[in-house]
Amino acid sequence: MSLIAAALTAVTALVALEDAGPASLLRHAYLVPVLAAALRFGAVGGGLAAMAAVLLSAPFVLPEIERSGLTTEAVEGLVTFALLGLVGVLSGVLRTRAGRHRRRYEVLVTIQRTLADEATLDVSLARLRTALAGRLRVDELAIVCRDDDRLVVAGGDRVAEGSLVGRVLAGGEPVFVEDAGGSGRARRAFATPLVSGGQPIGVLAVERKGEISVRERATLEAIGAHIGVALENGRLVSRQRRFAAELAERVATARRELEELDRAKSAFVAIASHELRTPLTALQGFSEILAVRRLPPEEVTRLAEVMRREARRLGRIVSDLLDLSRIERGLEPALCRVPLKLEPAIEATVDVFRQGTATHLITTECEPSLPVIDADPDALERVLTNLISNAIKYSPTGSAVHVGARALDGGVAIEVADAGRGIPVEALSRVFEPYYRVPDAAGAARGTGIGLAVVKALVEAHGGTVRVESAPALGTRVTVVLPSYETATHDRRWSVP
Amino acid sequence: MWALDQPYTPRADRLSTGTPLTLLAVLALGAAAAVLVVQLGALPPGTVRVVGVTAGHGALLATALAWVGVGTPSQVLAVALIGLASAAAWAAPLGALAYLMPAFWILWLVARGQLTGLGLGTPVSPRGVMAGALIGAGLSSHLLISVSRTLGVQVRVDHAPDVMAAIAYDVGANVLAAECFFRGALFNRAQRRWSFAGAAILATAAYVLRYVVDPLLPKHVELVVGAVFYLALLGAANCWLLWWSESLVPGLVSALLFFAAYRTLGAG
Repeated sequence: MSLIAAALTAVTALVALEDAGPASLLRHAYLVPVLAAALRFGAVGGGLAAMAAVLLSAPFVLPEIERSGLTTEAVEGLVTFALLGLVGVLSGVLRTRAGRHRRRYEVLVTIQRTLADEATLDVSLARLRTALAGRLRVDELAIVCRDDDRLVVAGGDRVAEGSLVGRVLAGGEPVFVEDAGGSGRARRAFATPLVSGGQPIGVLAVERKGEISVRERATLEAIGAHIGVALENGRLVSRQRRFAAELAERVATARRELEELDRAKSAFVAIASHELRTPLTALQGFSEILAVRRLPPEEVTRLAEVMRREARRLGRIVSDLLDLSRIERGLEPALCRVPLKLEPAIEATVDVFRQGTATHLITTECEPSLPVIDADPDALERVLTNLISNAIKYSPTGSAVHVGARALDGGVAIEVADAGRGIPVEALSRVFEPYYRVPDAAGAARGTGIGLAVVKALVEAHGGTVRVESAPALGTRVTVVLPSYETATHDRRWSVP
Repeated sequence: MWALDQPYTPRADRLSTGTPLTLLAVLALGAAAAVLVVQLGALPPGTVRVVGVTAGHGALLATALAWVGVGTPSQVLAVALIGLASAAAWAAPLGALAYLMPAFWILWLVARGQLTGLGLGTPVSPRGVMAGALIGAGLSSHLLISVSRTLGVQVRVDHAPDVMAAIAYDVGANVLAAECFFRGALFNRAQRRWSFAGAAILATAAYVLRYVVDPLLPKHVELVVGAVFYLALLGAANCWLLWWSESLVPGLVSALLFFAAYRTLGAG
């Protein structure tokens, strides 16, 4: 600026020294600083420099008009005034426009680059705000964007109710505020919506102590629309990548589950074969003994009892396998439901175990006046047998197994509790899956891994629920809830309190 | 950030909100009455000048004070001090020093922080004062050179007391009232409603009009055109100075320099 001032002064001094009047050829030298100012400072600079040149050369032109009227020389001087003004303003306007266009393209490139990476929306907006604040030459800049049901705010903590940004977000139209507070030079604020698909998805807001011209506001509106599209594109790409990642994860999980299932089925075949062979071996061996030997009646009775027990065990395994087969085909177990008193059913099942084992103390506690339930007696026996069998298998010798029943609103709850090692928390959610066996338990006791799956299927076929609670080293409690006969026949819903 | 944190309500007040209409009416009636009384020969003609200066500059200064929330007693006191100074200047050449009274009153209000809305009492940068001085000096020197070359008017050095009296009048009434109203009040309000250019055009046009209709301005075409030219430049430059420096002081400096140069020509 000082160079331009010096050049104007120097030209004036040369014109004065030449003393050639208003038509001095040196007057054209004013064009140099005027052009320089226009190219350096734009329209305002060019205009001011032209005005300064006119002011400085006026004392050489106006006296001529005062003395001799509009002579040729005076007219030449006046034409020079007009030329200086024209050159200064036009060159400055062109320079300003070129600069504006350059900055606009730089901003657009900045937006593209900033939003091209895979950062989260919060991070992207923060980066974009930093990049734009420098390029747009504003004092304050904020970008707000909707992200589902929350607002991401870059450049502030929140959007206050009734604020300029809040209004633009709600109205979807740009708003310019001439006076946004402060003393001295007015602080302008402008907020424009970020538009995508014709819908406002956010707001770009700027503040500057000074002018925000109409052209700047138009540029900001265009930038807002561009940011909206870029954000939407980024969001779509991000969503697509997230879906792809989720899909890959699901495929991997499904593959793992299938592999695990395959392994479990292989293990099941081996275990089931073993489980089936054991009673078969017993039946085969004892039946041969009975066939070839003559034994005392007491011994015959004992062997017959053993054979009966093993046959029941064999029958139970076969029933479980049949039920499992139906479950895997998506069918419910076949039931023959009748009104059933629960306490005798529990006592009968428990008696079988009491006679068959002396290793555990099995206690029962049934509330008086339990409601009659709507159940298949055989299915209920298998449910209880499975649960009591598990409790005995997975609790130490000499410990107690408790079987109880209590009335509920609209049903009954049957509880089988043991004082065993318990089930790890991470395995609790899987104990009802077919073939699944708790890793620690697999080596502790024999089992097919289908017992609890069959229990769950049978209970749910009755319209009931089954729940397992366990604390490591304290024991496990399985609660089966079945609807009462009255409830079941009226098809009412109910739940465990 | 204001746009995020503060509630926004569109501006509802008008540009003229807060104008002391009663005081302005009293001043207008007083001026009219003075003209009438002088026409009837009950008072000497000089009385019109005293009342006119009081009413004109008092109205501008009082309006400026009212627009920034200064109370009515302070406005009335400012008008009264201008009236007293005008009367004193009419009575005796040295009486023009009384124009320093309204200036001191304004300084008192500035010291109490009541005029920050006008750009007085806010921090002033040396660069702002320097820019004001440069603009004032530039316009002054251009004025002196151009009028001496075109109209043949020369710098007057033989009536220093008259020049000093005129400068005192500028300090305490002319420049003070004009800058406080046209820049500190009018431009400041306008730039909070419209663009800088719009506000500057409004304030400058009003500023130029005020001097064109001033009975003290000689009604020669050359002088009127020259006054319009220089006052338009001075007004626009002072608008920019206030906008850029956020202080009225640089504008006061440039205007005082310009008017001081003008007084040396003996045109005032």
